[in-house]
Formats: sequence, structure tokens, C-alpha cells
Amino acid sequence: MSTDTFEQLDPTANLGATTIVATSALHRRYGEGAAAVDALAGVDVAIRRGELTAIMGASGSGKSTLMHLMAGLDTPTSGTVTLDGVRLDELDDRRLTELRRDKGGFVFQAFNLLQVLTAEENLVLPLTIAGRKPDPEWLESLVQTVGLGDRRTHRPAELSGGQQQRVAVARALVSKPAVVFADEPTGNLDSVASSEVLGLLRRAVDEFGQTVIMVTHDAVAASYADRLIVLADGRIAHDGPAGSAEAVLDVMKAVAS
Amino acid sequence: MRQVALRGLRARPLRTILTAMAVVLGVAMISGTYVLTDTINKSFSEVFTQANSGTDVVINPSKVDDAFDASPPPLKDSLVQRVRAVKGVRAAGGGIQGDVSIRTNKGHRIGGSVNLVLSLQPKPLDPFTFVTGRAPRSDSEVALSAKAFADEGLKVGDLLTVVGEQGAKRFRLVGSARFGDVDTVAGYPAAIVTLPTAQALTGRQGQVDTIAVAALDGVTPPQLRASVGAALAGEPVEVRTGAQDAAQQTKDFKKSFGFIRTILLVFGGIALFVGAFVIYNTFTITVAQRTRELALLRTLGASRRQVLRSVVLEAGVIGFLASVLGLLGGLALAPGLRGLLKIIGADLPSTASVILPRTIVVALLVGVVVTILASVVPALRATRIAPIVALREGLTAAPLTSRKRIVFAALLCLAGGGILVYGLFGGASGSGAAATLGGGAVMVFLGVALFSPQLVKPIAWVIGAPLQRVAGVSGRLARENATRNPARTATTAAALMIGVALVAFVSIFAAGLRGSIDGAVDRAFTGDLSVVDKSGFGTTPPALVGAIRKVPGVAAVSGIRFAQAKVGSKTGTTSVSGIDPATIAQTYTLKWKQGSDATLRTLGSDGVLADTGFSKKAKVGDRIRLLTPAGRHVTYTVKGLLDEGSDFGLLGGGLVLPNDRLAADFDTKKDSFVFLRYAQGAPVAATRASIDRLLATRFPDAETQDRGQVKDSQAGKINQILYLIYALLALSIIVSLFGILNTLALSIFERTRELGLLRAIGTSRRQVKRIVRLEAVITSLIGALLGLVLGVLFALAISRPLVAEGFRLTFPVTTLVALVAAAAAAGMVASLWPARRAARLDVLAALAYE
Repeated sequence: MSTDTFEQLDPTANLGATTIVATSALHRRYGEGAAAVDALAGVDVAIRRGELTAIMGASGSGKSTLMHLMAGLDTPTSGTVTLDGVRLDELDDRRLTELRRDKGGFVFQAFNLLQVLTAEENLVLPLTIAGRKPDPEWLESLVQTVGLGDRRTHRPAELSGGQQQRVAVARALVSKPAVVFADEPTGNLDSVASSEVLGLLRRAVDEFGQTVIMVTHDAVAASYADRLIVLADGRIAHDGPAGSAEAVLDVMKAVAS
Repeated sequence: MRQVALRGLRARPLRTILTAMAVVLGVAMISGTYVLTDTINKSFSEVFTQANSGTDVVINPSKVDDAFDASPPPLKDSLVQRVRAVKGVRAAGGGIQGDVSIRTNKGHRIGGSVNLVLSLQPKPLDPFTFVTGRAPRSDSEVALSAKAFADEGLKVGDLLTVVGEQGAKRFRLVGSARFGDVDTVAGYPAAIVTLPTAQALTGRQGQVDTIAVAALDGVTPPQLRASVGAALAGEPVEVRTGAQDAAQQTKDFKKSFGFIRTILLVFGGIALFVGAFVIYNTFTITVAQRTRELALLRTLGASRRQVLRSVVLEAGVIGFLASVLGLLGGLALAPGLRGLLKIIGADLPSTASVILPRTIVVALLVGVVVTILASVVPALRATRIAPIVALREGLTAAPLTSRKRIVFAALLCLAGGGILVYGLFGGASGSGAAATLGGGAVMVFLGVALFSPQLVKPIAWVIGAPLQRVAGVSGRLARENATRNPARTATTAAALMIGVALVAFVSIFAAGLRGSIDGAVDRAFTGDLSVVDKSGFGTTPPALVGAIRKVPGVAAVSGIRFAQAKVGSKTGTTSVSGIDPATIAQTYTLKWKQGSDATLRTLGSDGVLADTGFSKKAKVGDRIRLLTPAGRHVTYTVKGLLDEGSDFGLLGGGLVLPNDRLAADFDTKKDSFVFLRYAQGAPVAATRASIDRLLATRFPDAETQDRGQVKDSQAGKINQILYLIYALLALSIIVSLFGILNTLALSIFERTRELGLLRAIGTSRRQVKRIVRLEAVITSLIGALLGLVLGVLFALAISRPLVAEGFRLTFPVTTLVALVAAAAAAGMVASLWPARRAARLDVLAALAYE
């Protein structure tokens, strides 16, 4: 168990007011015996509130696994995750589901929207699931922010990929979650649509103080972040300010070598 | 979440409707049954009420015993005089109602297989209003119920033939009448005649079926009932007010008629059971296809319970839709069911359809509950989808471990088989045994269905091999597709299996029945001709035997008749058959266990022969005490033992008595079979021709049959019932075809990309169609073969105890082969539409999917 980057074994002990997600000695092993793979081999990280954090790494570096564990979508082999002051390993499935519902927002690479619902219905789905009504003003400002305009009643199939993804971002924001988890949000988009979606995430951080954790392998996408964490072989290989796309690429090259 | 479920249904209306169809037919059958039977009940209740409209008190013979189907013996008409003398009585009159056949002077029978005769009553008891003409006054005049009169285009002055106990008699038509305010008696044509004429036609001289009584002004029906009851104390009568009587008759009718409802409901239940398989499969597939969608919802915070509720809600909506469609279908089906029942001689009245609130409630409840129950397992499976699946391609829910499933399947089969055996030998009778058998069969079906995924691969391999040879790569792909998801194919096939198993079972059973009866006829019938009622289910008039005896060239005529009796304190009834001891040996070979034809001459007035059902325990010299349907307690002495076979001999297998005892003690005077033998050297054709002439003029409802025709007509009777059962089971098979259609359509949806790829690399539309059709053929053959095996096993199990009673198990190979072929063809038909859809896929769109 590697604890050398932080002094404390219990991450909750030293959680400053600015930390929203913390992991401690996070391990995730897939498979058994000889075929076993350590996707995460001891990760300690503290995600700061109100920041856009980009997580990068080569395929198989464990970046997606880290995010899934932080979001409570996967269970660690050992180690802990604390999200907004709650230890995830202490929760049963029902409480975990409620936690995701109340504290998490999700944007995926694809398959984000339910085809049978309209754009607006998709947008408010987390609230519908929770049995809550959206605050009309907040909803209106979200609709304006993502530029949905007169397409509210369109089905996802009638929207472009960028539009669909912007609806997904708005959906992630609608419940004002503690953290928005974005998993390769621009993986399926062209550069124009990508910059719209990334701009949107950026504005969410700047204007609403939203915390966003984004997994990406696109240096341009990472350049929108405040902080860049790079994983390699299941460990943190770099942790620092993100900087420009060129700077991100330099970091990636340095890690790879 | 509710929104998601409902939108999903609305976005795929075709799939929703197709899924619903699985339940629609079963619900239609159930609601159709209720509509039909309620309609029939109502029309009878109407008749009973109309009959009593002018009546304050009704006197009926009291029931002898609830066990008897036959109506109690009529009342002495001398009672009428005694009733007239009772204080407060304004008028009293005896009435007769019975069965006859009414023919026009052209010889054709009016209406269906039921014609009634009703006697006139003195005013004000008379329920008839004459629309045309007048009431009959003499014993050669008749009036007809108004509807039949109009339908047949008759007019006053026409000649009608009414066939009663004494054979055909000519009447002059003098008018048409309404019965109360309806123009038909429960839908049946009725001949209205004077009381003495009615007594003669029904063979009830000096007797009446009921006595209607009207009260003087100021005397209430209950008061009159009390005084009439007091005056007739000690007589075997029931005295009721008119209203009570109508209610009682309605109740009795419903009770005696209830079995038809039960039988039809059972077939509805079978269709629903099959439908449940289809629903289960459809939901299993759609849940699997929506894995990522459901996982996304879970990621967004939907709880397992919410996922469960959304799937169950979807099922509930489909069930509700199905119920509503089924209810409407039931309304349309009711007349069809009535037509089906008519095939087996149950000619039921038709009036405007009656839809009770109960029908609607039951239909809705049944459809919704069955659909929801069938969806519970897939819904639970949906809750097990992990949220993370939304983020990963190619992850699906893990299937149920096959070891556990196989053990459970084996346990179900064993338990079901055990229950079946218990139902057969456990000694329960009637509905109890039927319920046990049904429960056992359901468990066996479920067990086999659970186990069948194991069988899909081997069976598909065997069936697929020739297909591959004939259809090449299409055959190979079809086989691969059929075995790709064995559980899916197995469940689809299992739905068809149930219908095929039941059809195979009844075919085998009916073939055995025909074989047994053929055997019995061959062994026992030694006469030259048999005379029977044309309908195949009726009896011949008592006068017939005497009339035929006088035909030159006839040496011996012997009637066989049937009745029931209660033996000692045993519950239920025993079959009693009547024979003519003097003549039976000349036309029929009795199979003696103890005694000989000489024993027949010793029967006298108290001798009885004990047949198979009795002869195991009874000894010659035993005394048997019986209660007859005529209400008499009689004691007979066993003079000989027979072994005719209980259920499959021509005699009923219980007790055998001389015909004159049946007439005297049981009031049974009509024969079911009349066997005759020509005199030595008599001209065969000419003798038969003179008998036919006699029948045509005096007994137009009867016909002669030679040995071959006797067998044919017995086989015909069995076939009628067999075809009725086929028709009712067809419903279940149609349901399972919807299952095949559904599964294929859903699988094709799932394989869109793959089909696109096949098309892109040069597979023709025709080949794609063929792949889909062959997959359907493989699936339905799996179902048909499993069903065939189960049907044979059921037939073996059920016929085992019957073999001792003369049942000959035979396998109608042609029928069974045809059944399997028909199942394969039906599967092919069900696949036409999905195949066309698959072939129409736009290659580019299919590849760009997602």
C-alpha cells in the first residue's frame, strides 16, 4: 500500500474545506490469479472544490477506473473514497444510488440520452428520478446556457451530436451536484462541437462554481482544466496545473518516456 | 421513471401491440366464455321468469338426489284437482315441457337440435300470447313459438310433424305465440299443444311436470304457498312462489350448465399460460436490449426499486391494453364459441350479449396480473444491471447459473410428475382430480421449459444438419442464430411445446378411444343393423323397438338404454344399463366373468348383472340396494358377473338390468342403441329398405347403421369432441406463434448491424429472408418435438390405469407427424413478417446504427 505522497492514512482527517473528493491508497484489481490486472495500484488524490480537473493517461493507465471509483460506480479492491464527506465503502447499494443521484452528475462519451424522451425531459431526468421538480429559473438559465432554445421538445435523434452532448452536460448540472463526472465527453465529437461542450463545462466551473472531473485523452480538452492529473500503470505520474494544450502534450510526453 | 416506461411503449407501438397479443387471446377466451355463458344464463332465466308471469305459486316434484342429472319424476296429475280445492286458489293447471323434434311437411327440422313441446295452461296461468291464429284446441292442432313461425315462413293451416315418444304425428298449425313478451323460448323453437297432447308426446300420460297456481284477489303468493304446501304435505313436491321458482330454476340451470363454463375457462387459462411464456421471453429480451439504457438510469440515480417498478409498470400497461383488446375480442368470440359448442350437439340459445361488470373486472384483472407475473423475473433481472454497464460496451447481465437451473428444473419435473400420478391414482374425483392433474402438468411444463435451453443445441444440431445440406450457408447461419441464445430459443419453443403437447395428448387419447370402441363393437356387436338417433347423442322413442319388430325379415330387435343410480351410501352415481334379456344374445355378445347367456333368463324382476366396475368386489347372490332417479329405493340380487370394461365398453360398466326394470324403476323408456338381426334367409337390402321407410315416416330422427357405420358414427362422435378441443387449443398455439414472431422481430432488431454486414458483403435479400425463416422453423421444430414427447408421456401415464378397463392405447402416427409438420409450417408463417423486415434493412443505415 503506497501512502508516501500524503502523510495521513485517513484522508478525511485532513480534508480541507476545499477538498470534495479524496481517495486513499485506492486499489482496483480486475480478474483473478495469473490473469489479474491492477488497474489502480494505490492512488491518493484530493480533488478540490470548484475546479475543473482533467485526468489523463494512456489506455489501461487506470484513468477511467479512478473516475468510476470516485463516482461510486465501481467498488475498490482496497482503499477508500470520500465524496463530499461521505465514505463510499460504508454505503450499501441503495445509499450509493441515492448518493449518485444527489451528489453526482454524469456525462459519458456516448449513449447519454434516452431516445424516447425529449431533450428537455432528458435534461431534467435526474430530478424526475428523484421525484423533484426543477427550479424553473435554474432550468431556464441551463436551457439558455446550453443553447437548447426551441429544440426543447426534440427527440435526441433530431439533434446533432454536439447538441446531444450539451444536453447531457446540462443534465449533469441540473441537480447542482457536488461533482460532475465527465468520461471522455468529447470523444465522439468534432472540434467545433468539442469546444462548445468544453466551453460549457468551463463556464459551469467559472459561473456556477461547479466541480468537474473529466477523463480525457485529448490534450485540447485537458487544456480547459485547472488541474491535470496523469496516470500511468495505475499510479499518479503527474499532478499539477493544466496549462495550454502544448504544455499538456509536453507533460504526456515526459510521463511516457 | 414512469415517463420512461410509458414513452418506451409509445415509441414502439408495434412491439407493444405484438407483446400484448400474447395475452389478448387468452383474455378474449375468458371474457368470451363469460359473455356466452352469462347470455345463455340470462336467456334461460328470462324464460323461467316469463313462464311464471301469471303464476303466484308453482309446484314441482322434489329432487330425488342432487347427484342425478335427470329431472325428478313428474307429478300425478290428480294433484291438480287437490290443489284446486285449496282455499285461496283461483286457478291451477298442470304443465308439461319436454323435448320433441318439429318438422315441416317438407320433412326438414325446424331450428337446431333442440325443439321443445309446451302445454297450454288455463287462464290466467297461460304464458302465451297468440300473435297469429289461435291456441290449439284438439289433439291434432299445434301452435308454434313466434320466431320459429316467422323464420320458417309458415302460415296458419300448414301441416307440421311433431316427433314424440310414439314417433311422428301430424298436426295442423293453428297459430303462433309469444312466450310472455319474448318470441322464442330461450332461442329454441317450441310446439304449443293441449295438455293431453303434450302428455302423449312426452309419454307422461296421467302426469304433469309442474302445477301452476293463481291466487284469488287479496291472497298473497307467500300465503298461497303456505296453504298449498299444507294441503300437499307428505307429497314429494316443492311448493314455491312464482318468483322463488324462477330464481330456483335459474340457479339449477346455472349449476348444471356450469361445467361448460369451466371447460372453456380452462382453455382460456391454457392460452394465458402460454401467453405468460411469450411475455416472459419478450421482457427478457427487451430488458437485455435495454441494458445500457437501464444502466444509464441507474447511474443517474434511479434505484433498483425504481427500475423494477418501471419494468413492472410497462408490463401492467401492456396487460391493461391486452385486457381491453381481449375484452373486445371476447365479445366477438362469444358467438364463435357458441358455434363450436353446437358442433358437439350443445345447441345453446342466443340473445343479445350480456356483459356483466364481473366479466370486465375478471378480464382486466386476469390480463394485467398474468402480464405482470410473467414480467417479474425479467424485471428483477433488470434491477441487477450494474450502473457501470452504461459506460462499457458489450457488458450484459450474467445468465442464471445453469447447474442451479437444471437442478430446479429436474425438481419441478419430478414434483409435477408426482402430482400427476397422485391425481391419477390418489382417488380424488371430479374437479379435485382435474385441478391436481392440471397443476402437475403446469409444473412439468415449467420444468421442461427450464431444462430446455440444454436441449436447444443438440436438437438444433440434428434438425439443422439437413437444413444446412438443403439451404447451404443460410441453413448454417439459421442454426447458429437459433443456438446463439439457447435460453431465448428454448422459451420461445416452450410456448409452442405446451400447445403441441396438449394436441398430441388428446389425439393419442382420442385414437385410443376410437380403437377401444372399434374393438368393443367388433367383439360384442353381432347383429346386422343398429338404429340410433341421428344427432348421435340422443335416444330413440320407446315405440321404435315394437314398430321395427313388426317389419318382415327382422328376427330380433334389442334395445340398450342407460340410466344412473345411487348405490347404497356411496357418493356420486353409478351407470346402469338396460338390456332386453330375451333378445340381447342374438345381437350382442356379452363378456361373462361368471354366468352365461342362460343367466339372462334367470334375471326375473330383481336380478342384476354386475359389470367391470362392480364385478371385482361383487359376488353372485349379493344384494345391491339402489336409489333410482325416479325416487324409488329398490334392491336387486346379483345373478351374474360381466367384464365389459367400464368406460370403453358399449355398456356403461356399472350395473346391467332388464329394460323393463329401467322403465318401471328408473322411468327410463328410451333406448340409446337398438340392435337388430335379420331373419335367416331374409333379403338383406329389402329388409333394410323397409326399416328405413318405416323410420322415414314414423321416426324421422332415427337412422339405421350397419357395423361399419356404427363404428364410424362412434368415431364421429369422438372426432366432434376432438375437433372442438383442437379448435380450443389452436388458440394457445396461435399465442405461441406470436411468441415466435416477437422473438424473431426482437432478435433481428438486435442483429441489425450483423444483417447490414451480411448484406454489405453480398448476401441477397432472399438469403436473409431464408435465414430468418429457417431459424423460425428450427425453433418451432424444437417446440413441436418437445411437445410431442411430452404429449406421448402424458398419454402413456394417463392411459395406464385405463388399460384394465378396456382402453387400447394407439398412436395416430399420421396425425402426430402432421402435427409436427404443421407446427414447423406455422412457425414459418409467423416468421414471414420479421423475415421481410430483415430483408428490407437499409445496408448503410444498419451499419451506421448507434
